[in-house]
Amino acid sequence: MAEIILDKVSKSFGSVRVINEVSLTIQSGEFVVFLGPSGSGKSTLLRMIAGLETIDDGRLLIGGKESQTLPPGQRNVAMVFQNYALYPHMTVRDNMAFGLRNIKMAAPEVERRVQDAARMLEMDALLDRRPSELSGGQRQRVAIGRAIVKEPAAFLFDEPLSNLDAALRVRTRVELAELHQRMNSTMIYVTHDQTEAMTMSDRIVILNDCRIEQIGTPMEVYTRPASRFVAGFIGSPSMNFLKGSYKDGAMTLLDGSRIAARVAVPEADTYELGIRPEAVKVCEGEGEGDTKGQVKVVEHLGERTLVHVHLSDGSAIVAQDGGRSPVQPGDEVALRFDISELHLFDASGKAWHAE
Amino acid sequence: MTASSARQINLVGGIITLLTLIIAILWAFPIYWGIVSSLKPENEVVRPYIELWPETLTFEHYIFALTETQIGRWYINSIATAVGATILTISTSMLVGYALSQLRFPLRRPLYWLILASFMVPTQTLIINHFVLVANMGLLNTWAGIILPQLINPVVIIVYKQFFDQVPRDFREAAVMDNAGEFRILFKVYMPMNWGVTTALAIVTFIWSWNSFLWPFLAVTKTEMMTITVGITQVSDAFGVYYASQLAAAVLAGLPVALAYLLFQRRVTQAITLSAGIKG
Amino acid sequence: MLRNTRRETLVALVLISPFLAIYGLTFVYPTVAMVNLSFTDAPLIGPGQWVGLDNYTRLAGERRFDTAFWNTAYFVALSVIPGTFVAMVIALGVSRLTGRMQALVLALFFLPYILPVSVVYRLWDWTLNFQFGIAMYVFDIWGIERVPIFKTTTWFMPAVAFVTIWWTCGFSILLFLAGLRAIPAEIYEAASLDNTGRWTMFRRITWPLLWPVTALVTTIQLILQLKIFDQVYLFSTGGRPNDNLVLVYYIFQRAFVNNQGGRAAAIAVVLFLIVVIVSVLNFQLMRLAERRK
Ligand SMILES: Nc1ncnc2c1ncn2[C@@H]1O[C@H](COP(=O)(O)OP(=O)(O)OP(=O)(O)O)[C@@H](O)[C@H]1O
Ligand SMILES: [Mg+2]
Repeated sequence: MAEIILDKVSKSFGSVRVINEVSLTIQSGEFVVFLGPSGSGKSTLLRMIAGLETIDDGRLLIGGKESQTLPPGQRNVAMVFQNYALYPHMTVRDNMAFGLRNIKMAAPEVERRVQDAARMLEMDALLDRRPSELSGGQRQRVAIGRAIVKEPAAFLFDEPLSNLDAALRVRTRVELAELHQRMNSTMIYVTHDQTEAMTMSDRIVILNDCRIEQIGTPMEVYTRPASRFVAGFIGSPSMNFLKGSYKDGAMTLLDGSRIAARVAVPEADTYELGIRPEAVKVCEGEGEGDTKGQVKVVEHLGERTLVHVHLSDGSAIVAQDGGRSPVQPGDEVALRFDISELHLFDASGKAWHAE
Repeated sequence: MTASSARQINLVGGIITLLTLIIAILWAFPIYWGIVSSLKPENEVVRPYIELWPETLTFEHYIFALTETQIGRWYINSIATAVGATILTISTSMLVGYALSQLRFPLRRPLYWLILASFMVPTQTLIINHFVLVANMGLLNTWAGIILPQLINPVVIIVYKQFFDQVPRDFREAAVMDNAGEFRILFKVYMPMNWGVTTALAIVTFIWSWNSFLWPFLAVTKTEMMTITVGITQVSDAFGVYYASQLAAAVLAGLPVALAYLLFQRRVTQAITLSAGIKG
Repeated sequence: MLRNTRRETLVALVLISPFLAIYGLTFVYPTVAMVNLSFTDAPLIGPGQWVGLDNYTRLAGERRFDTAFWNTAYFVALSVIPGTFVAMVIALGVSRLTGRMQALVLALFFLPYILPVSVVYRLWDWTLNFQFGIAMYVFDIWGIERVPIFKTTTWFMPAVAFVTIWWTCGFSILLFLAGLRAIPAEIYEAASLDNTGRWTMFRRITWPLLWPVTALVTTIQLILQLKIFDQVYLFSTGGRPNDNLVLVYYIFQRAFVNNQGGRAAAIAVVLFLIVVIVSVLNFQLMRLAERRK
């Protein structure tokens, strides 16, 4: 268990910079998720912490110890690979013990740790099997067990659930969260699955284009996204964006409608208004809403309904209605915006939030 | 398709299958004929008509070959040289294959080109200088002398390299995270992962070495140092023109490799296809 | 991935050093020495005078070299294409069988390939024996006149080629079978839904898809048969070696019978070049074919 500090670390592959001066402090015992689109550098950053990639510039401190030049085995971190990388010719026991034997740990201690880990992961009965004789979920556990026995300062996971089927993924997600609580250890977890990120993490680090876009708790990144990118990336269905201009405490959209917005931003012609579908309501009566448009598609999801509407200027917006929404495609509907959940984004992507 | 045309196609298919079976039997017939003849007394062998099974079954030629000739000695030479060549070829080739596939070091490319080049070079043309070399080293008529030029076997290296190339990078990284050094990664992770390939390659290397003729024939002048494949054709006075005895000796020479094949049929097939994938 | 360059180089050096020692000694050095030797008049063992290109120019008008060269070419012509053809036909037959039956039949075809050449020699020397060979009884039955096959120059090369095909065919069959297995069954299923006949199926589907394997088998055989020695040497014993000469045999004769290392080396270099050129040409052709795909 230890604090991990990244201080302006950078990394290039040839002339392509993939991590640019990233700084980040991960508290001891924290569960941090790296989230971002494909190619954003999540794995690279994780592997830099693990020692599988060099750190070109900057410092890495693990438990207070300068680690950027240490070989992977000596950084006191353990990694769980996406494809598990279980040694196929070794039994589960040997798979877990391999790393300990490599540092010449005494046999009784090795056995004790293997037994403890097996008990914790409820796989005592599997110890003498080989990976080929295990199910996907069981292999996943062995991979985690192999990390646990090292009693590392931090666990690193690179998309560990992506090879499991949907049901198993949900179950393992819960188990991992439990494991984290029980062991109270530092965990860094790479994923591109928002649900995983939102449900498991203490804090989410959102990466895009070699940089950190935002660091925050799941609710923070959801309710107060730091940038247009984060706002659009987090949440499904994703946030609505409408172009317009800001003047006198109100946004004027392209279809002419004015939306009152209590946001402290300079007046300017080019803003984008961001609002999540759940903050856009379909109104009953005529003339009540902030704007109106024609319904194109209606998606009934059971407990709620997504209504895709085209405004008069042609811009599209998704609104949310109750589960038994009577709205039909072709209907003209009025929409009301919940102005306490408005966001404005300037041309550079910077965000302002409604007070 | 009508029923009658379907039947017609089945008939043609049946004929093709039948022909295949007949040809297969004819194909193997010389081997059968050689074995059967070696089990007949010498006077029955030369009877002027075809006898598919011996009237009197006898092992006298085998007993003769094993007791009265140097075949026992030749067996030992063949086994020692084939096993030696196999162990040396497999171990050195595996190490090189691993280095080429997994490690980055200066001159890696030129090394690879050297190996590819040695593919094209016919070792038969090197016999003169192999002979000079081995003679100068004082190794004529020794096992070491017989083995040495047989160690040029680039196919094995390439098969190993390709095999190691296919191992996902994760395994190496997991082992590095597990604090394993280079040698432990090779001997504890990569090598055990490919026992199958190693057995397959070892079996065919053994067979190739056992069967090699030209070099052992040149490197040995003393009858007691000959390998069995050379011995049975070079020392005819031991057998005279007794066909059955000659055939018995031939059967004894072919037996180990034939057994190796029949026991490890799948492995041999695997190794042959693996090695051919790149020979072209 | 993170690498410790110095350590890695060191490890690599340790791993390749046995190989370097062996290949340096048995491959690089002999190759260089062979070329060197070919410019001298040295005996098999011992020093000689530099004679420049003499050994090569003498080859031009030499009767024995002529025989050896053309016999080799003749043998290649007799064995390579027919061998490939026979192997393909057999593989097509074997591929129709399934399970144990296929394994058994394949083993029958493959077994000869596993045998040492001297065993092959004994078997066929016996089978084709002029007095007692079983083949001669068959000749008698069909009213063909008996011939001492390996003692007759006309018959020698075709017979050796025949035995060679019998001996090495298993190898090619194996490759053809692998090629046939790689053709997806759906293609045949789709074709049979289109009412494709057996012959059309072969001509339009099997043959084009099998073409790369055919090329591979042919070239492997070509390079292998250029280096023929063992069979010719063995079947010539007691016959007429000088008429049956092939290139490797000639190298052997010059070096080990006539004790003329320099002149033998010149022949070796010529064969060496032939094989290398064929290999390189073939390699380029393969690459071209691959790129066209
Ligand atoms: N070994 C490498 N050599 C060159 N470029 C690389 C290498 N590894 C990664 N990259 C590049 O670095 C960038 C970040 O890659 P990385 O694997 O970290 O992305 P990721 O966020 O994990 O994506 P994914 O979700 O697809 O796994 C990508 O543009 C990738 O092409
Ligand atoms: Mg990744």
